[in-house]
Amino acid sequence: MVTPELSSDVVAQAEPEPRLRGVFRRLFARASSAIGTGVFLTFVLLAVVGPWVAPYEANQQIAAEARQPPSARHLFGTDTLGRDVFSRVVLGSRDVLSLAGLGTLLAVAAGTAIGLLSGYLGGWADEVIMRLFDSLLALPAMLLALLFLGSIGPSRPSVLLVIALVYTPIVARVVRSVVLSVKGKGFVEAARLQGEPLGHILFAELLPSAMPALAVEAALRFSYAIFLVASLGFLGLGVQPPSPDWGLMVKEARAAVSQTPWALYYPAGAIAALVVGVNLMADGLKRALRSTAELR
Amino acid sequence: MTTTHRMTRPWRALGWVLAGLVVLAGCAPPAPDAGTPPAIDTPAATDRATAPAGGGTLRVSAFPISQIDPAFISSDAEVLIANHVYDYLVDIDAENNIAPRLATEWTVSEDGRVYVFTLAEGVLFHDGTPLSPEDVVWTFDRLRDPAGGLPTVDLYAGIEAIEVTGEREVTFTLAESNPFFLYDLSDNHALILREGTTDAASVFNGTGPFTVVEYMPEDRLVMRANPDYFGGPPALDGLEIIFFSDQTAAADALRGGQIDLDMDLSTPLYESLREVEGITTVEAATNAFAAVRLRMDREPGSDPRVMQALKMATDREAIFQLVQQGYGAIGRDSPIGPVYAEAYSEDTPLPPYDVEAARALLAEAGYGDGLSLDLHLPNTLGFPDLAVVLKEQWAMAGVDVEVLAEPESVYYGEDGWLEVNLGITGWGHRPYPQFYLEVMLACGAIWNEAHWRDEELDALIDIAGTTLDDAERAEAYREVQRILIERGPLLVPYFFPRLAAHREDLVGFALKPFSGRTDLRGVSLAAAP
Repeated sequence: MVTPELSSDVVAQAEPEPRLRGVFRRLFARASSAIGTGVFLTFVLLAVVGPWVAPYEANQQIAAEARQPPSARHLFGTDTLGRDVFSRVVLGSRDVLSLAGLGTLLAVAAGTAIGLLSGYLGGWADEVIMRLFDSLLALPAMLLALLFLGSIGPSRPSVLLVIALVYTPIVARVVRSVVLSVKGKGFVEAARLQGEPLGHILFAELLPSAMPALAVEAALRFSYAIFLVASLGFLGLGVQPPSPDWGLMVKEARAAVSQTPWALYYPAGAIAALVVGVNLMADGLKRALRSTAELR
Repeated sequence: MTTTHRMTRPWRALGWVLAGLVVLAGCAPPAPDAGTPPAIDTPAATDRATAPAGGGTLRVSAFPISQIDPAFISSDAEVLIANHVYDYLVDIDAENNIAPRLATEWTVSEDGRVYVFTLAEGVLFHDGTPLSPEDVVWTFDRLRDPAGGLPTVDLYAGIEAIEVTGEREVTFTLAESNPFFLYDLSDNHALILREGTTDAASVFNGTGPFTVVEYMPEDRLVMRANPDYFGGPPALDGLEIIFFSDQTAAADALRGGQIDLDMDLSTPLYESLREVEGITTVEAATNAFAAVRLRMDREPGSDPRVMQALKMATDREAIFQLVQQGYGAIGRDSPIGPVYAEAYSEDTPLPPYDVEAARALLAEAGYGDGLSLDLHLPNTLGFPDLAVVLKEQWAMAGVDVEVLAEPESVYYGEDGWLEVNLGITGWGHRPYPQFYLEVMLACGAIWNEAHWRDEELDALIDIAGTTLDDAERAEAYREVQRILIERGPLLVPYFFPRLAAHREDLVGFALKPFSGRTDLRGVSLAAAP
């Protein structure tokens, strides 16, 4: 049987709802994190309703209106091929958010599973996994991504894979460090003595402790992933034309910056706004979670 | 390393006119206000003001160079430098005609196999040695020696013998007649070196109009007029090649007065310089082109109706306006462009732009339910723009295109341009059209990327390559163009222009299609008012 003392510990971990509400309240209490979260949610909204907001199709080429500066007709102007920059920026938000979001999700899922397992098992398995990840982390993320995309060729699935590959080790390390700090605690011991299966111990006992750190890490990784998607697009190794990927738009507009600077400024501004927004949000999330933990 | 080298070599050999146009990545400084007057306090400007009755020092922007030895040069910048340090035996003028250089005159035998050249008098190398016919023989023997493995070996494979036949006379004997032999002799690499030179990769010892004073890699190369030049000293006092790895930065330098001449502008940069006070823009037609080609040896291209349908689904005028902004020339689905006045023909009409007819033709070929194709292309030179426009246009005819813009090393690598079904390839400028026919369209040619074979075409290519009768050759080319339009594997949407800009007081400047061959011997900077 479970001792009362240990079970209360487990209950506190398993019922996060009241804490979650507190976290959101604190997130919006700070101006910078409220703005960051607001920017992020605006882009998410744009991604969802984009097709209804955008006045033109992403690849609609109006030859007669090519290279026009911003006007009422074309809010952000048109690029060299006569495409509406505003529509492309709006429609591109779905691309960048889904790619960076899904990639981050993959990395978080894989990193969490590996981190939990590696930290809990310890011993040589932990050694092998962590040294392998260390060697991956020794290479800059961009270099790793270029190497990988260079060999499998640029496409949407390969960009997803690259994000997962690049960020899995980082997430795994964060999760593992939390596991190491709690795996000696009573509630874990109790679960093990009770004969709970490995999956239960990892995901029901250990994972909740790693949740706050994981949430912050996921938000941070997400902002890096946005940047990575845009950078790969800019280098021509990410999403392929004619997709309205922001990085790709910057690349295309760069060659003609003397003629159509607006085609460069708006997508570049969108990248900057989203990355800064998500970073502010992650920062706020970290503070909110920390103060929640302190209050508890 | 070896793999990379092999992968890029065919492309390099194709001509770096295109490479010169490549927009390199990098960040450009913000553009200064249009109309900023040229700075007057730069050292070069001071030189110019104090130089006694000279033509001044001309500062030209160029991409950084990696080769100095004339046998290995390929980029515009490399050729530009070599062209002013060394001399060709015969040169090509801005109108694409053969012009004398070290050879002042020549005779050709009746059967077109023996060429006798007379060398100019009083030619000195920069180290003081006089030019002898042995130097010419040695230079060409080096370029054609199969054991040497230089890029020119194939080009000169048809030479049977090169001999000194007089005090100032060299005789070339060919295995069979070659109507383009003088053009071959004026190849970019064929600069005359001193006999026995072994240090051409580090020392500039030519007979040319300028001598090298200082070479700072990645920064600049400073030249001074050669007072002993056999054709009389050049009008300029000096020539400085200033290296920029970024087109935008070079254009900004021209705007700001740090350079005087830029022969490598992208269309948007050229447009942005057109209205700038004190700057003159110059345009030259070239035969560099974008070739959209479909493999003819496998489905769906094995049915020639598919390529014809794609041609009919293409709105060339819209492409020319959107992608090229109206610069260059609209193509006629053959590598023979309007630059070659004596070979170019408009006798065969192009298939009309007709989406419905294209759709019907595709249905006839069995693709009535639509056709999906991957379009491979290098991600440089505006090719992605071309691909995106083609995707939109062909979609109207029921052709679904997936655009795959790849780095040049991938597209021109193994399993790249020679392998893919549908691709866009950039071809550089050449002084005569036979080159393209022989290497990209003749059956079994090394760069026959469309894997096409057409016996009638092969026979015509053969005639054009051997006949000494200009009328017969023109007729053969006319027929070649008819065949290519009627059933060929190419869609040539446009020919690239060569775009340049310079200070308005530059006198005597004539831009050549391959900008490296532009002759700066006669240009000068008018005294500042």
